Amino acid sequence: MRIFSVLGVIFYTIILILIGLVLIVFALNLLQPQDINNLMNYVQANQNARIITGLSGFLLILITFSFAQLMLGRFQREKTIAFTTSSGEVTIALSAVEDLIRRLAGIIPEIKELRPDVIATKKGIVVDLRVVLRSEANIPELTARLQDITRGKIQEVLGIEEQIAIKIHVAKIISHEEKKRKEDKEEQPTIPFSGYTRV
Amino acid sequence: MQREESRTDLGTIRIHKNVIASIASLAAMEIQGVKKIGGNFKSGVMELMGQKSNLAVKVEINKNEEVKVEIPLIIKYGFNIPDVANKVQESVRNGLEKMTNLSIKDININVQGIERGQ
Repeated sequence: MRIFSVLGVIFYTIILILIGLVLIVFALNLLQPQDINNLMNYVQANQNARIITGLSGFLLILITFSFAQLMLGRFQREKTIAFTTSSGEVTIALSAVEDLIRRLAGIIPEIKELRPDVIATKKGIVVDLRVVLRSEANIPELTARLQDITRGKIQEVLGIEEQIAIKIHVAKIISHEEKKRKEDKEEQPTIPFSGYTRV
Repeated sequence: MQREESRTDLGTIRIHKNVIASIASLAAMEIQGVKKIGGNFKSGVMELMGQKSNLAVKVEINKNEEVKVEIPLIIKYGFNIPDVANKVQESVRNGLEKMTNLSIKDININVQGIERGQ
């Protein structure tokens, strides 16, 4: 599967480079419209050339379609956590777990923004948290609390006993001044056409 | 579309797959903790066109006339997902057995998301 993706990427890179080269050559006046016309005339006049051109077009459509299927299939395949009950199977989308974690930002006031990324592995669940904090936060204490709350919430809501690893990445710390500046900007209404003067 | 068929002295009774899907989604919505039935691209397009359908609930009937139902769900925030899923499976099984006398093979739940409850 991987080799097909690599071949597909190489194929489209070559095609796009060729198109780019043709455009550059055309822009530099090295390729005249007459040359293109001659080539077109030759292709149309020659039976074999027409067959080859037609087949190339068909092959191009086929390759494009297969490649699109491969890529879309990969994007559409949603990863889930699954368990079976007596009545059937229950699958939980990892995006649902991410939704759940995102809501934790409302519980802890020091967190301005929380972006989770959940990965299910054979060993258990790995949660990558990207957080934006307010400046008054004590980072070691806060991150430890966030890890505990996240782990507890996942265990409580999903009812799983697998190992849950929580990695936290503090992406940004918003200072009071920055916050105030933003608030001031929002408060000051701008006067329409204030930059214009009467002549 | 395949239909579940049974014969009586007076004729045949056919139950459309859509009916099974409707019963399943109504039974699922009765459970506390279920926000709404999830969806897929097809059901989203139908909803945009103003047609309310149960396209998201998949119903399969095999040769032995056993029914397999797949329900996508959005769960309310704060509820235990396995508990809600179990209750939905029970409710759907009871609802379908009570209303259609069908033999239920599997009720698969697919939790697609979590939303804040009202």
